[in-house]
Amino acid sequence: MNQSGFFELIGFGPAGWGGTLLFGAALSLAVAVCGVLLGAVIGVFGAWAKICGGKFVRGVANAYTTILRGVPDLLIIYLIYFGSSSVLTAIGRFYGASGFIGFPGFIAGTIAIGVTTGAQATEVFRGAFQSVGKGEIEAARACGMRRMLRFRRIVAPLTLRHALPGIGNVWVNALKESSLLSVTGLAELMRQAQVAAGSTRLPFDFFLAAAALYFLLSVVSGLVIQMAERRSTRGIRRVA
Amino acid sequence: MSDAKVEVQPAAVHLKNIHKSFGGVEVLKGVSLEARDGEVISILGSSGSGKSTLLRCINMLEVPDSGEVAVAGEVIRLQPGHKNLLRRVDHAQVDRIRSRVGMVFQGFNLWSHMTVLENIIEAPIYVQKRPRAECIEEARELLEKVGMGSKGDYYPAHLSGGQQQRAAIARALAMRPRLMLFDEPTSALDPELVSEVLRVMRTLAEEGRTMLVVTHEMAFARDVSSRVLFLHQGQVEEDGAPHEVFTASKSSRFRQFVTGRS
Amino acid sequence: MDLNFLFETLVNLLPGLPLTLELAAGAVVLGAMLGLPIALMRISGMRLLASVAWLYVQIIRSVPLLVMLFLIYYGLGQFEAIRMSFLWAFFREPHWCALLALTINTSAYASEIIRGGLQSVPRGELEAARACGMSRFLMFHRIVLPVAIRQALPAYGNEVIAMVKGTSLASLVTLMDVTGIAASIASETYRPVEVFVVAGSIYFGINFILTRIVTMAEYRLTPHLRSRPISPIQSVKETAI
Repeated sequence: MNQSGFFELIGFGPAGWGGTLLFGAALSLAVAVCGVLLGAVIGVFGAWAKICGGKFVRGVANAYTTILRGVPDLLIIYLIYFGSSSVLTAIGRFYGASGFIGFPGFIAGTIAIGVTTGAQATEVFRGAFQSVGKGEIEAARACGMRRMLRFRRIVAPLTLRHALPGIGNVWVNALKESSLLSVTGLAELMRQAQVAAGSTRLPFDFFLAAAALYFLLSVVSGLVIQMAERRSTRGIRRVA
Repeated sequence: MSDAKVEVQPAAVHLKNIHKSFGGVEVLKGVSLEARDGEVISILGSSGSGKSTLLRCINMLEVPDSGEVAVAGEVIRLQPGHKNLLRRVDHAQVDRIRSRVGMVFQGFNLWSHMTVLENIIEAPIYVQKRPRAECIEEARELLEKVGMGSKGDYYPAHLSGGQQQRAAIARALAMRPRLMLFDEPTSALDPELVSEVLRVMRTLAEEGRTMLVVTHEMAFARDVSSRVLFLHQGQVEEDGAPHEVFTASKSSRFRQFVTGRS
Repeated sequence: MDLNFLFETLVNLLPGLPLTLELAAGAVVLGAMLGLPIALMRISGMRLLASVAWLYVQIIRSVPLLVMLFLIYYGLGQFEAIRMSFLWAFFREPHWCALLALTINTSAYASEIIRGGLQSVPRGELEAARACGMSRFLMFHRIVLPVAIRQALPAYGNEVIAMVKGTSLASLVTLMDVTGIAASIASETYRPVEVFVVAGSIYFGINFILTRIVTMAEYRLTPHLRSRPISPIQSVKETAI
């Protein structure tokens, strides 16, 4: 690996792939964000189902988290991408088109990440809710707060505070999972690195650059989470 | 049987001029102490007076910054190191000495993943390398002695504080120690459990065991010990027999301490 | 629901199972061997060692497994020095590259789990061990290790499951593990949903068994954390006293 050559390669000059890589990174971020948002919504419903759902609902939620705990992310991505693509292709064939019609990688990626992080988020929210002190909820009831108000002002904020570290973890996992979306052809960071590597025959340089970018994204995410945690635990941290 | 009449047995413990600081605060300011076999010494003092530290210097759970520690006549090898403070140099010696000194902690410190019986036989088998069957038999006898005969197969988490502490005492006794150190053995117990532990300690004292006890229990200090030591701010303020010390102490601070407590 | 096809797929996927299991088991064992010294470095108290170990863990945990895998398998081939050396026999085989990538990945998580276990032993119990005259080695062996293992077991069980799932990436470097075979069957038969569902079930089955084993081990190893079962004879004796 040529030192100056490396920086030229990943830079923004004529021979530089910097722009391409950064575009990939941005796309990775975007799909991860969308996926986690979907996952968070699923997680809230899942946690709700596990905490106060009836037997059937709870069973469904348990089955969901158990199954996703045991199945590789790659398979989920394959399932969703190729599954939906085959449906699309079949529809296309019905209308006379031939050949493989790929389901949009971004949407497939969002759904896949949403499904896998949803299972994790369910557990995080459930655990967070259960670690909220019963006393604090009781005090709210004793004040005469009705259910909706109690949830909005006491239960939800406290649950979110306990959930922060877990959600931070979920986010980092989503970011890493986005790299697997390269199998769908989506032009995220990993795919861009592959393209660049193939084109220049310098795989080490580009996969190293990709690794560095993922590391950077992770570090920044970590800092953001830390800041959020610090703000949310304002009242309960011991002074000095 | 040797016909030693003039032969003086080395003191069970001999501490000479012990200094110890923690983070810039000097906790022991030159304390000396000699304990002979059979003595039961109660060490009293308010918090921060250095009593626990002094005890822990005997089995090197704390290393004094300067001074000398001798157990059963054997001086523990220490050498000046960083900033001229003493460091342990002979770990084998320290381990060997520790196996002859039994320690009972305020927090009991039983090993939570072992039953009471397993706790008691652990050191005899693995440190002193005695045969397993002998250790188990002796352990059962010790359990009977501390009133825990039927509780050998219990895990510490299933026992009350008083039971755990009595088990801890049995564990210390199992090593056949030359001397026993008690670091505030009843301070962490609910009041109604204190007496069962003190009863066991009293039995040991009456057997003639050498005991150094850091405690707040005035009645024990007065009635059971053969000698009372009062530490104030890292120095020995009072050292004498209980009947002298409790009735006619020369130290006003000690008198204050006693009246403020019992 | 073409049961015939499903069954056929299952049979066709099974030949990939040994590779999946072997990669997972290999990575777990080697990863633990690598993770232990790193954990020890982190709790060593020596600033330099601890920082290096911390950095290692941070980096490995932030970089996707796929990137590491490609970096090793495709990336190292870029260097003539490696291609010419004896190492090339190792690095050009996708099997060893996958094993190496998985091992490095799990070593970071393993070191954190091991570290958590080692640090979970209550300080008082360590003091009592030292006060009995136990040497450092004896204390580690009789007191620290048993407690650390019990503490680390649930988290380690999760890590093993993560490894099993991680082996699916081996399919992306031409290895024919369960996922690899599934991908090729799916592209031949144009029935991705059924094929991948069957493949998923295989992984699910493996992980289900693993979870059961870990739960059983946890149960057998921690009688001291459960409430004591009272036998009728015992309760009579106790009330008599």
